[in-house]
Order: sequence, then structure tokens, then C-alpha cells
Amino acid sequence: MEAVVIGLVLGGLYALLAQSFVLTFITTRTLNFAVGEFVALGAFAAIAVSSWSWLPTPGKVAVGFLAAAVVGALVYRFLVLPFTTQGEHDVRWLLSTVAVSFVMLNLITNVEGPSPQRSDTARISGTVDILGAGVGKQQLVLAGLAVVISLLLIVVTQRTSVGLMMRAVSQDPDTASLMGVSPRAVGAASYFVAMGLAGLAGVLYAATVGASPVMGETLLVASIAVAIVGGLGSLWGPLLGGALYGVLSQVASYQWGAIWGETAGLLLVIVVLVAKPEGLLGRRMEVKL
Amino acid sequence: MSTVEKDPTRAGRRRAGPGAADRGTHVRSALRRDVLFAVAALAIAIIVILPGRNGEGTSISTMQLVASMAAMTVAAVGLNLLVGYTKLVSLGQGGFYAIGAYGSAYLALDKGWHPVLAILGALALCGIVGAVTAMASMRLRGPQFSVITLVMAVLVERILNEGNAFGRLAGYPNFAQHGTTVTEPITFLGTTFTPPMIAGEVATVMVPIVVITALVVILSRNIARSPWGASLSAIGESEMLASHLGVHVFRRKVAVFVLASVLGGLGGVMATQAFSHLQPETFDIFLTITIVLAVVFGGSGTVLGPVVGAVAIVWLEQSDILVEASQWQQDTISESWFLSTSGLVGVLFLLTLFLMPRGIVGTAGAVVAARLHRRDAAEADGAGGLDETSEELVEDLTHVVHEKPAPGSLLTLTDMGKRFGGLQAVAGLDLSVDRGQIHAVIGPNGAGKSTLANLVTGVYKPSSGQVTFAGNDLTGQAPHSVSRAGIARTFQTPQLFHDATVRDNVLAGFADTGRTPLWAAALKPPSRYRRDAEMRVESDRLLALVGLEDVPDVRASELPYGKQRALEIARALAGGPELIVLDEPAAGLLATETSGLGDLLMSLRDQGYALVVVEHHMDLVSRIADQVTCMDQGRLLARGTPQEVLSDERVIAAYLGKPLDEHGHAVETDDGTTTTPAGPGSTSPSPSLSNGGDPS
Repeated sequence: MEAVVIGLVLGGLYALLAQSFVLTFITTRTLNFAVGEFVALGAFAAIAVSSWSWLPTPGKVAVGFLAAAVVGALVYRFLVLPFTTQGEHDVRWLLSTVAVSFVMLNLITNVEGPSPQRSDTARISGTVDILGAGVGKQQLVLAGLAVVISLLLIVVTQRTSVGLMMRAVSQDPDTASLMGVSPRAVGAASYFVAMGLAGLAGVLYAATVGASPVMGETLLVASIAVAIVGGLGSLWGPLLGGALYGVLSQVASYQWGAIWGETAGLLLVIVVLVAKPEGLLGRRMEVKL
Repeated sequence: MSTVEKDPTRAGRRRAGPGAADRGTHVRSALRRDVLFAVAALAIAIIVILPGRNGEGTSISTMQLVASMAAMTVAAVGLNLLVGYTKLVSLGQGGFYAIGAYGSAYLALDKGWHPVLAILGALALCGIVGAVTAMASMRLRGPQFSVITLVMAVLVERILNEGNAFGRLAGYPNFAQHGTTVTEPITFLGTTFTPPMIAGEVATVMVPIVVITALVVILSRNIARSPWGASLSAIGESEMLASHLGVHVFRRKVAVFVLASVLGGLGGVMATQAFSHLQPETFDIFLTITIVLAVVFGGSGTVLGPVVGAVAIVWLEQSDILVEASQWQQDTISESWFLSTSGLVGVLFLLTLFLMPRGIVGTAGAVVAARLHRRDAAEADGAGGLDETSEELVEDLTHVVHEKPAPGSLLTLTDMGKRFGGLQAVAGLDLSVDRGQIHAVIGPNGAGKSTLANLVTGVYKPSSGQVTFAGNDLTGQAPHSVSRAGIARTFQTPQLFHDATVRDNVLAGFADTGRTPLWAAALKPPSRYRRDAEMRVESDRLLALVGLEDVPDVRASELPYGKQRALEIARALAGGPELIVLDEPAAGLLATETSGLGDLLMSLRDQGYALVVVEHHMDLVSRIADQVTCMDQGRLLARGTPQEVLSDERVIAAYLGKPLDEHGHAVETDDGTTTTPAGPGSTSPSPSLSNGGDPS
């Protein structure tokens, strides 16, 4: 039972990052493989302003969000967009975002050093007892945030005109641009929000484990896995995927040891992809001749 | 390139012994090129290890560098088959490299296998893991495929980092577990293969390493230039198109993934043999990305690209250049804001994507090709194409000797139905086509004509009904089976390999693309040379047939639209089909081209081909068709000779809108599912349809 609860909470963190993959995927059909570095970027940005006593904590968290968001939008404009021009089989963006990940990781390591730094911004200490499992309040906040943000994104995409634009660009960027919706602007906006979310997750996560350049790298694979399991085209996907992945990997690692936790999670990805390549909540797209 | 129709004596001789002299020339020149390449590859391999022939201490670092380059080359050559040809971006090659490296060491040291067996075992393991990963990811393309391969590589890395059997951070082997930090050199057939480590000892292991690397390059070149390689490019272009060319896409993708995995593992095996010790942190994501970079940097989809890329990247990483560059940044820019090796590699990757997306070899090749073919490209817009088809060549088609057409119809559709959700696209349709017959299918837009074409060729599985072809039941068969059974097709918009030359497009149409076994592609036995030459001669003839004999080396995308259609027909003919389904072949053609197309189709009919032509162009239909089927809303509306059908009032109504009777209701005729009896207007077809051209 304890494993299930902790798995669910952990799944929340993955779901938050998975949401940023889903967000960029539904609007631009691209994934940012450098998401892990944006997590670290957000965390270090918050540390950089932690001594500014005039800035209240929400402001410091916002700095973490904005730093990652702005860099994210720039990366989209200059390093993703130019590599998506050759149709749907064009995956050069995949290589360019991997390259961005190398550059950012290397730069952050050189600037901040490899060892973890303590971060007190938005730290909430103490644990809560849920069904016999002691869960850190910080982690609970992260998991709650994932749920809230997912619901928020769903409401925005389904109820507002911004969401309509997003869905239009997602379905047919060419027609959308004929209707006066700029796919580039929508793409840049979704990278802004998506990378901002990664930065936000970084700030909150750093408060528990400390900020280090590689802090996001360990989350990257798990959160891509969560996004794929849930379905890259569905905003509900990360919640379901995060819960499944988190619980499965925690239960497996309680039962058979840490190495099996991750293995079980990744095997889940393979099973889901074989059975339903579009993910559990994704919709299949027919190819027409 | 011989212009056949201008030389009747030559054409006559060909008919007697088709292209025997040409074939001999092609075989000899291909053999000469291949031998030259192989000799050059082996010579370079031997030359680079000459500095270590005496085992001097100063040569050790050079030999280690060569070994790293060789290992990276083999892994990159394997990955190139996936990334470059099949256009599947795998991020898992580093994982296979690690499995090969650790697997061969572990099986030998912990399991006590003979080292050679251990190497084979590790390669087999790579193949098995590769096959499983491939089968799990085969329905995926693009990012999902890349992610699953990345997941595989990460899994391997974690196991090596955390699995106690592999010594974790102490490396493998290590003192605590094995009492030594180096693996034993292999002794095989009385020779000990010493790694480049100790001054004064000749690093004998370098000989097999460079020779195997050269062999891998030679064999991969054979594969890339074989019909097997063409099938990979076809899959990369469009899986649907590849399956229409008779390629079993699933099996071929699994096969190429396994091949790439084994080569990745072989790279790892070489690393183990050369360095005798393994550290898990050298097999991280950085390795897997570096292999991808080697392919892209050198030139993906070229034979030499991965070799050049691997050598360049390894040299760059091991030389002092990157260290100096990072020192320079620290001196001139900032003590902390600088990039070191991995960051600089990332920058190099980005620069490659921006400035040189085709890589070193690809870019250089494009420059040379542009010089050579500037003239050809100008010719592509000139005369030729379908308005200059040459019918007399049709009878030269060696494979279509339908001397005794079997009685009965070739293709029979019985009660065909196809439903998409709530839409009944085709319902209760019967159709039969005989050898030597052109059957035109007409009907307004949305009538279900293209759906019918897709049902015949296996793109869609019928919801009901049966497809019988030459006595075999083809109902629900996949496109590649339909293609192999003898049905070829062309598409509404030409589906060509745009970056390939005109000739290569035709060559891809031969049944060999789907049928050549991998071993024959790699080892290139004499029969392969003969067959290649035969295909080459045959492709020249097919190009002449459709009027493209002057532009065999032009890229398909540089052809004007009409010639692309001609090329598609030539490719369909290459497969030696008995029946060809043409989906709107005249769409977008000039009047002269349409007339040439008509001549070509009629001469094909005279040679015994059966043709199903989905067409809007009524002039063409009434000129060439033996039978016309008119469809409306998925059902048969009328059938008969062109005159009968085109004058049928229901057909006219379907095209031009239904005439209304005096009560304002649409005029309904009889059920209209049988052959239309000759109506009053049958002798003079309705002018609006027979002259109307394309109503859409």
C-alpha cells in the first residue's frame, strides 16, 4: 500500500513533466529532448534570486518558471522550428533538441559545478500520513500541482479561443494559418508554457533533492515514458500514465529491488506501444492515399 | 545511353538476343568498381596500422585511436542503414554497443565461454534484443520510435551502472571480483591477439579489427546498392509505397534493425578487444548520440558518410582541439561561462544540421553530381515523356510473354463492399477484367473509384466480398502480397523516390526489391551481378518505352509532372505485373501527353496486360477502354462499352446533376446494376461527356 501511495505521488512529478511533452507535441508535433535541462535551469534560476529578500517566494518561483519559459520559446524559434520544415517525416528537430540538451547541460555544469546545491525556495518540510505511508508535503504539492495544471490546460484548450487555436494548429497547421492563426506563434507559446512548467517542476523538486545539473536527466526518461504511455496527443494522458508508471515502478522496486523498478516502468512503455502505439488515451490517425 | 528507336537495326538485334552485349559491359564495369573499392578499403585498413608493426611504445596511442575509430565506424555504418536509408532515427545504437562490449567480456570471463564463442554469443544477444525492440516499435515512426530506442539504451546503461555482476563503477573486470582489471587477450588458432597496451608488444588484435571494419564497410556498400538497400530507401520514403513494390515492410524493418544492432554490438566487441577494460560511464547517452552525430556529420544515407563521420568525430574528441577550444573560451570569455567537450559536440551537431544537413560526404557528392548533371537537368524539361512513347518497344518486354492467355477473367471482384465507419464507400460491386483488356472505372468525385483501386491493391481490407486474381484468392491480402501476385499500380499523385534518379526509380520497381535475400545483397554472388545488369538493360528499355530514355540520371523531383507519371508507369511495368491499376493516369497531363498515354496503354493491352484505369478524362476513356464501369455513391451505375456508358442518361445525370421531372423530383431510372442496354443515344455519345474532359 505504501508503495502504491508513493508511486502515485512520484507519478505526479513525472506527469507534470510529461505534460510539457504533450503540450509541445499536440501543437508542433515535436518533443523537446532537453526538458531535463530546463528543469535544472528553473531550479538554478530560483537559487540565483534566493538572496533577494524583497522578492516573495511566489516571485522566486515565477523567476524559475520564466527563465525556463523564455529560453524554451527561443529554443523553439531558432533551434526547433527550422528543423521541422520537411514534412511529417522530418525529425531533425529531434537531433537539434538533443544537441541543445548537451549544450545546456554542459554550460550549467561548468557554471554551477556538478554537485547538488541546497535550495530553500518554496520548501515545505514535514510529512503527511496517507494510508500508512509517510509522504513528504513537498512531493504532495508537486503531485497536486500536476493534477491542477492538467485540469487547467484541459479547460483552456477546450473552453477558450486560445485553446481553439491550439487545436486548429494541431490538426492542420496550413489551414490554421490560412484562417489567420500563426502556427509559429502558437508553437512558441506552447514551448513557453511547456518549458515554464519544466522550470516550475525544477524549483519545487530542487527543494527536496537539491539543484544539480543532472537533476532533470533522471526525470527525462521517466517522464517521456509517462507521456507515451498516456498518449502524446492527450492532456489527460500524463495523469493516467503518471499514475500507472509511478505505481508500477514503485511496487516493482519494493518487491525486487531498485533496478527492477525502472525496468518494469520501461517495459510498461514497450507493452503499451505494442498494444496501442498512440498511447492509452491517444487517438489513432488514419493515413489516406 | 543508346537511343533505341533511332536505330532500327539495333532494336531488331535486341529482339533476337535482348541486350546481351550491354549486360556484359554492365557486369564488367560493376565488377571493376566493386573490386577497386574492396582493394582500396583493405589497403587503407592495413596502412593505418602500419605505425604499430613493431609494437613501439610511441605507437600505442595511435593504435588505440585507430581502434576507437574502427569501433565507431562499424557502429555508425550499422546505424546508417537505419537512420540514413530507412529514415528511422534510432537513439539506441549506444545500447547495442554496450551489450556487445559487456556481453562478450562477461560471457568469456564470468561464464567461461571460449572468447570467440563469447563474441558470437554477445552479437546474437544484440540481435535478439534488436529483434524484440524492433517488433515492439515497428508500428511507430518519428519521435515515438526514437523514444523507444532511447528507452532501450537507457535501460542497458542503468543495468550496467547498477548491476553488481558488472562491477558497477569499479568497471569490468575489476580487482574485487576478478582479481584483475583487464580481460585476457583472445588466443585463436594459435595466434594471440594482443591489445595495444604494453610497449614492445605488437598489438596483433589491430589486424582483425581493421580487416573486419573494412569488410563491414564493403558489405554495407553492397547492401546499400542492392535491391535490398533500395527497399530500405523505399520504406524510408513511404511504407505504403514500399509494400506496393512487393516489400514485406514489417519483416524488412525488423531485419534491418537486427542488422544494425549486430553491427552496433560488433563495435562494442572491438572496443573490448582493444581496451581490455570497460567503464559503465563511457556507455551513456553521450555515446549513443555521438554515433548518431557521426552518421549525420559524415553524411547519412551515403556509403562513406558514416566512415568519414566516425573517424572525424573520434579524432575530434581525442585530439586536443576541443580542450584547447574550451581553454580559449575560459581565457577570453569567462572563467565559468564556457563549453567543454560535450557542449562543443552539441554545438557541432547544431552547426551540422544548419550548415551541412547532408553531411560531409553528402554535400561533396551533391556538388559533384550538380556539375555532372547540369546538362541532364536542363533536358528534363525538354521533349520526351508520354508524348513520345514508343509502342514498338512494348513487345521487347521480356517478362510479358502471355502467349496463351488463359481462358476466363484474370481479376474478379465479387460483391465488394467497404465501409468506413458510417460511410459505405463501396457496396456490392462486381467487376471482372480479362487479359488484354482495358477496363475503365469512371464516376463523379466521391463515387468510390479510388477506394475500389485501394481494395484491389490491398491498401484496404474489404468489409465484404472477394478478390480473385489468376485463380488465387487475394481477399484481404496485404499490398506486398498483391504486388507479388502480379498486380502493380500507379497513384493519383505520383509516388516517386524524389531524391533518386529516374533510373533508380525504375530499378526499385523490380520484384527483386522485395525478394532479394540479405545474404545475396551483402555477399553479391555472380548471379547478383548478372541480375543487376539484366535489370539495368531492362530499365533502359522501360525508360525508352515511356519516352524517358534521355534523362536516366536526372533526379525524379526535377522532372515535370507529366514525366513523373510516365516514370511511375515504367516502374509499375518493371515488376512484371499481369495487371496494372492506374489511378487517374491522365490527371494533370497535357493533351499531347494524354494521347501518348493512350497509345502506350493500348499497346500494353495488345501485349496481354490487363489494365484497370480509374479516369475522369472521357476522351481517353472512350478511345482506349474495352469496358467501362461507372460508379456512383459506391455502387455500380452502368457498365458496357464506352459508347453505351457515356450516353447512358443515369451516367450523365450523375456527372451533371440529376435532371428533374415536371414534379420537381429527381428522375429515377431502374436499379441500374446490370449492363446498360444500348439506349437511343448509343450511336452518338453525349457530347457533354465525350468531349468534356475532366469534370472535377
